[in-house]
Amino acid sequence: MNRGNLACCACALLLLAGCSNNPYPDADSATRTYYTTFVEAHRTLDPAEAYNVSAHKVTGLVYDTLLEYHYLKRPYTLIPGLATEVPVAEPLADGGVRYRFRLREGAGYGDDPCFERGGKGRRSREVVAEDIAYQLQRLADPALQVQVREPFSRIVGFRDFMTALEARRRADPAFAALPARLQYQQLGGIPGLRVPGRYELEVRLSEPYPQLLYWFAMEFSTPVPWEAVEYYDARPGRARFADHPVGAGAFQVVEYQKQSRVVLERNPNWYGYRHPDAPAARYPSEGAPGDAALGLLDPAYRGRPVPFVDRIEIRLDKEDIPRFGKFLQGYYDVSKIIKESFDQVVQSDRLTPEMEALGVRLQKAVSPSVFYLGFNMADKAVGAAAGARGRKLRQAMSLAVDSARFIELFLNGRGVEAQAPLPPVLAGYPEGYRNPYRQVDLERARRLLGEAGYPEGIDPQTGKPLRLSFDTYATSSQVLLQREFFVNEWRKIGIDVEIANTTYNEFQAKLERGAYQLYFYGWSADYPDPENFLFLLTCDMRRIPHNGPNSANFCDARYDRLFAQMEVMPNGPERNAIIEEMLAILREERPWIELFHRIDYSLAHEWISNLKPFGMSHPMYKYYDVDPKRRAELRAARNRPVVWPAWALLGVAVLGVAPGVRTFFRNRQ
Amino acid sequence: MEAHHVSNLLVALLLLGAAATGRALWRNRLWREALTELWRRRRLSLLTIALFISVGLLDSVAWIGGEVAGEDLLASHEARSVIDRLFLKPAEGSYSAPFATHTFYNKQPLVAPAGHPFGTDILGRDVFHRTLKGVRVALLIGGFTSLIAIPLALLLGIRAGYFGGRFDDMVFFVMSTLASIPSLLLLIALILVLGRGTWQVCVALGITSWVGLCRVTRGETLKLRELDYIQAAKALGVSNGRILLRHILPNLMHLVIVTFVLLFSQLVLSEATLAYLGIGVDGSWGQMIDQARTELSREPVIYWNIAAAGAAMFTLLLAVNYVGDALRDILDPRTLREDA
Repeated sequence: MNRGNLACCACALLLLAGCSNNPYPDADSATRTYYTTFVEAHRTLDPAEAYNVSAHKVTGLVYDTLLEYHYLKRPYTLIPGLATEVPVAEPLADGGVRYRFRLREGAGYGDDPCFERGGKGRRSREVVAEDIAYQLQRLADPALQVQVREPFSRIVGFRDFMTALEARRRADPAFAALPARLQYQQLGGIPGLRVPGRYELEVRLSEPYPQLLYWFAMEFSTPVPWEAVEYYDARPGRARFADHPVGAGAFQVVEYQKQSRVVLERNPNWYGYRHPDAPAARYPSEGAPGDAALGLLDPAYRGRPVPFVDRIEIRLDKEDIPRFGKFLQGYYDVSKIIKESFDQVVQSDRLTPEMEALGVRLQKAVSPSVFYLGFNMADKAVGAAAGARGRKLRQAMSLAVDSARFIELFLNGRGVEAQAPLPPVLAGYPEGYRNPYRQVDLERARRLLGEAGYPEGIDPQTGKPLRLSFDTYATSSQVLLQREFFVNEWRKIGIDVEIANTTYNEFQAKLERGAYQLYFYGWSADYPDPENFLFLLTCDMRRIPHNGPNSANFCDARYDRLFAQMEVMPNGPERNAIIEEMLAILREERPWIELFHRIDYSLAHEWISNLKPFGMSHPMYKYYDVDPKRRAELRAARNRPVVWPAWALLGVAVLGVAPGVRTFFRNRQ
Repeated sequence: MEAHHVSNLLVALLLLGAAATGRALWRNRLWREALTELWRRRRLSLLTIALFISVGLLDSVAWIGGEVAGEDLLASHEARSVIDRLFLKPAEGSYSAPFATHTFYNKQPLVAPAGHPFGTDILGRDVFHRTLKGVRVALLIGGFTSLIAIPLALLLGIRAGYFGGRFDDMVFFVMSTLASIPSLLLLIALILVLGRGTWQVCVALGITSWVGLCRVTRGETLKLRELDYIQAAKALGVSNGRILLRHILPNLMHLVIVTFVLLFSQLVLSEATLAYLGIGVDGSWGQMIDQARTELSREPVIYWNIAAAGAAMFTLLLAVNYVGDALRDILDPRTLREDA
C-alpha cells in the first residue's frame, strides 16, 4: 500500500514535468493554421445532401461553386467563382430562360487516390462542365436525400428525369445495379442541361427565376468528380463519399475524424493559382462603407491572392462553456459569445476592459434571419375565417408584444426589432421602415380588441376572457420562460393564452392537422433575396394542404400576384415598389407578429485579420490571415501552468502517508 | 364546476377528514401518547411542516374577483388563491436582487422598492411568491404520489407475504423487473406515454416508487405470519381478512409511516430531477431551479432564484425527515415497549 502511494507521487511528478494544456501538437504552432469549431458531428458531407451550418463549414471549403459572394460588399453581391463571369438570363421563345456558364480552364480537384482510374499515379483531374451536370443530375436522384430540389426543379425536365429514374430502377434490376453515372447517361440526362463544350454549361429553365444564380453560389451545384462517388461508394468498408469529400475548392480534407476533428490543407490544384486575376481568387480591393475603418481594407492584403492560411483545423466541441474557455486560452481563433458569459464579455454594448486587455475584438452583424409569432390563418378564431374580426384581433395582439424588451431579457440585446418579415440587410428592404402595428400601444390594442368583438378581452360567447392556445415544443424550462413572456404581454389586453407544450413530434403532427393557433418560429435565409422570405407566406407554400413552410397558412390572392411579379424581377426601384406593396398587405393582415432579426456577435483574437461576419453559412476562411508567431507568444503567456496546488496536494499526501510509513518501519523492527 | 371550486371543496374535505382523524387518534390512549411524545421531541420540525401545509392549503383556496395588480386585465377573471392575493404588486422590469430598490441590470427604479425579500426573476415576478406557490406543488407531488404508491405496495406486499404461492411469485417477479429498470429511464418513458402535467408526473412517480415499500412489507409479513399470536388466531379459526386487518396491518404501520416520510422527500427530489430534464411539473421548485441554472454562471451571479427554491425544498425535506425519524422510534412496537 505504501509502495503504491509512492508510485503515485512519482507519477504526479512526471506529469508535472510535461505540463501543458495545449490540445494541438507543438509542431503545429508555427504553421499558418486557422482553428475553429463545429458543434455536432456531420451526418453527411455530400454536397447534394449536407444542409446545416456544421457541414457547410467543411463542404464550403472543399467544394467551390460557379459563383460566389463578394466578401465585403453589402447588400450581398455575386461574383464569378469557377465561372468566368456571372451569366445573364437569355429569354427564350417558349417563355423560359437560358443561362450560359463558362468554366475556367485548368481548375483541378484536390489530390485523391480515386483519380487513379484515369491512369496510374494520377492524383487529380481538371474540372469540366460535365461534372456540374453530373452533380445537378444527382440532385434529381431520388436515392439521395436532397432538401433543395424545389429551386432546381425549374430546370427543364428535372422532375421528369427524377420520375423516369425511379420508374426505370424499379422496373429494371440490371439498370439499377449500374453506377449512378451510367444510369443518368442511359436516360439521356436532364434535357435542360447541355454541355456544348468541355468548359461550357447551358442551363435552361422553364420559367424566369433570377434566384437560380444564388443556388449556383451554394455547394449543391458544385462540380463533383464521378470517380470519387464511384470509388468511395462502390465498396463497403471504404469511407462513404459522404464522409470523404473531394472537390475543386481552395482546400482539401487531409484528415477527417467524424467525432473529433477535420483538418484541411491547401488544394495545390485550385484554379486560383492558375488564374490569380479571378475575382474570387484575391482579396477584394473595395468593400462596404465602414470596412476601411474596421481594418478590412488593409493595403497589405488588398488585391493579394488568397488563401492566406495554409491549414484549417475544425474541432468538434459540443459544450458551450469549455469551448469558450479554449477560445479565451487562445486555442480557437474566433468564438461566438455564450449566453452565460455575456456580461463578462460585453457591457453596455462594448467589450469589458478585461476582454480588451486580452486583445479580443468584437464584431457584430445583423444576420439575414427573422423570428416571429405566427397565427394559424386556417383557424376559426384567429384566422382568415374570422374576417375583419380576426384581422383586428391579430392587430391587437401584435400591438401588445414588446419585442424590444424580449430582446433585452432573453437575447442580451443581440437583436434588431423586426418591422417586417424582411431583415434590413437585404436589397429591397424599405429604408427606415416602421410598421405601425409593431410599436407597443396597449390603448390602441384594447380599442381594436373591442372592435373585434372582444371588449376587454371578453369572448361574448362564453362570457369569459378569450382563450387561445400557443402551441410550442419547448423542452427546457428556460425556453418555456420565453413563451411565458408573450403570454404575459397578452394578459395586458385581457387575452388568456395558454401554452400547449408538447414534444416536437406531436407539434409536427399538430401542424399537419392544422390544430394550432399560435406558434413561434424562425427563418434563416438560404440566399440574400427578399423572395427567400416573402415566399414563406404564399398560397403554394401553405402547410395545409401542401405541407410547405407557410405554417401560418396565409393565402392572399393579391399578395400572390405581386409575389409572382416580384420573384422574376431584377433588383431595382420597380421591384422595391412591389415589395413595399406586399409588406403593406402583411402589415394589415398580420399573419405574423415579427419579433426580431438576430445580431450575431463574434469575438476574434488580435492575431487574426480580415474577419468580417458573413451572416450566411459560407465559410470565408480563405480571406482570413493569422499571425502564428504572435499567437504562440500569447498562448504561452496566457497558459502558464499554475503548479502550486499540485505541490500543495503532494505535500498533504506526504504528510498523510508519513505516519503510516513510520509505523510500518517501526513494526518491522 | 370549475377547477378552483373542486380545489376549494377538496381543501374543506381534507380539513374535515384531518379533524376527524385527529379526534379519533386523540381518543386512543396509545396514539395520544405517541403524538405527545412526538411533539415533545420534534417541536420545531412539526411547526415547520404545519407552516408549509398551511401555505399549501391557503394556496389551494381560491376565488374570482377582488383587487388586481397593475396592467393585467386577465387577473380579475381568474381564480386567485389567498397567497396570490398577498402579492398584488405588478411585475418588475426584470431581475432585481433581494430588497433591492432598482433592477439588477439597467438600474430602473422598482415598482416596489425593497419589497421583494427574495428578489425578482427574469420576467420581474416576485421570487418569494413563486417559492410559496411551489409549496403546494411539492405537497401535491409528495402526497398524491404516496397515495398511489403506498396502498398499492401494502396490498400487494401483504397478500404476497401472507398467502405466498403463485401470487407471491408473480408480485416478486414484477418487483424485480421494475427494480432492474433504471428508474429515471422508466420515468421518462412513462411521461412520454402519459403526457405532461401534474397528475401524469405523479402517476409515473407512483409506478416507479412502490417497489421499495412492497419489498419491505412482504418481508415483514412473511416474518409476522409465523409468530405465535398469528398462529393462535389461525388455530382459533379467525378469518384471514380479520388477521390481516387486526394483527398484520397494525404491526406494519410503523414501516408505512417511515416509508411514507422517506418516499415523500425522495419524490420531491425526483420531481426536481425530472424538471431538470424538462418534464417536471409547472410551478415546482425543480422547475425554478432548472430555469435558474444558467443564472449561476452569470457575472455578476444571480443566486436568489436557485437559493430560494433550494432553501425551501431543503427546509421542508429536513423537517419531514426529522419527524419521520422520531416517528419511527416512537411507533415501533418494540421500542415503545422498551420505553414503557
